[in-house]
Amino acid sequence: MSNDAILLYSTFLALLALVALTAAVGLLVYRLVKGPEAAAILEGRAVWLAWIVALVATVGSLIYSEVIHFVPCRLCWFQRIAMYPMAAVLLVGAIRREVQVKYYALPLALIGLPISVYHYLLQTFPSLEGGACDPSNPCSAKYVDIFGFISIPFMAGAGFIVIAVLLGLYVKDTNKETTIQ
Amino acid sequence: MSKTQTKKQPSSRNLVYWIGGGVIGLGLIFLLALSIAGEPAVDTSIAFGEVTVEGENLPFFADPNAGDLAVGLTAPTVSGGDWMGNDFTIGPDGRPKILVLLAHWCPHCQADVPRIVDWIDSGGLPAQVDLYGLTVLTNRVRDGSTWPPQDWLEREGWTSPVVMDDEEGSAVSAFGLVATPLYVVLDGENKNLGRFSGEVGTSGLVTMANLALSSLEG
Repeated sequence: MSNDAILLYSTFLALLALVALTAAVGLLVYRLVKGPEAAAILEGRAVWLAWIVALVATVGSLIYSEVIHFVPCRLCWFQRIAMYPMAAVLLVGAIRREVQVKYYALPLALIGLPISVYHYLLQTFPSLEGGACDPSNPCSAKYVDIFGFISIPFMAGAGFIVIAVLLGLYVKDTNKETTIQ
Repeated sequence: MSKTQTKKQPSSRNLVYWIGGGVIGLGLIFLLALSIAGEPAVDTSIAFGEVTVEGENLPFFADPNAGDLAVGLTAPTVSGGDWMGNDFTIGPDGRPKILVLLAHWCPHCQADVPRIVDWIDSGGLPAQVDLYGLTVLTNRVRDGSTWPPQDWLEREGWTSPVVMDDEEGSAVSAFGLVATPLYVVLDGENKNLGRFSGEVGTSGLVTMANLALSSLEG
């Protein structure tokens, strides 16, 4: 496959990540301005949206490794460990309308996010991990560089942020509607 | 005392919409991926050369902090060529040399190459010392923007002789590379004066040039 084809695929995912990240920032600001009632605008859709983000991130990364043959580095694997389970957990939570799924998925997103941030910083400042490249599979190597700043950990980090905002701020814990007789 | 939990029942229509949306989105990504996978394979051989190695490989430079334990050993004679058909032999020709083993995808190599070019352009490389670049560990998927490495080096203004390593990594093994970039300083008899791993910057280049020159004094 040509570099152009890989570039096209990466650009598509990068645009998705940018749109999702922008939306997440908008939702974050809206939540800060409106307070808890802001959650009403998404109602039960937040978990579904979070699932779609996790699903696209999961499938997108699998295509990178299994179709395009990028070999995931150590930090990539840590981010995969955080992202992949969410694609399953959030689907079950969304189908069952189990809003408490956020207590299972949110920690995964919050664990994955700092790893993505560190990985992105490592690509930007390779000297963070020493002055030389490990030939086997260095995490500092940039497999993808779209618009000069979007790499794979950037996209993963955007996914974690979007999921965290959706679950943390837009899922009302309605399962706590408990009446005591 | 008893508890009653109220829970909204999922609407099957909403469920279909959401899952349908997810499937359509995924389908688009899969289509894109399939179109990528269906493309003809790129000929990667243009990024590799033919290399012959005569003599014993230097031991792997496993721990740069411990210093180079292979100082004084004779490096093998390595012959190969660049992408324009020029052939070079790195062997005992009486001239001290600095070898730079570069991986195009390595950010530390990408950082050092312009420094090397500037240093040479400003007259930093002594006339008695030769400098060779060796493109090693070439891997298109790791960084398509610097592949093939000859395009990258030309963009950077590289003018020194280059030997392109083969797919088996003969030059990597010959000089005991464990990390990139790897610098190898050889005297005129191809004896290893010292190997340095990682970014060295201009000061490191000056140090290596002086080390190479010192072999002429002895």
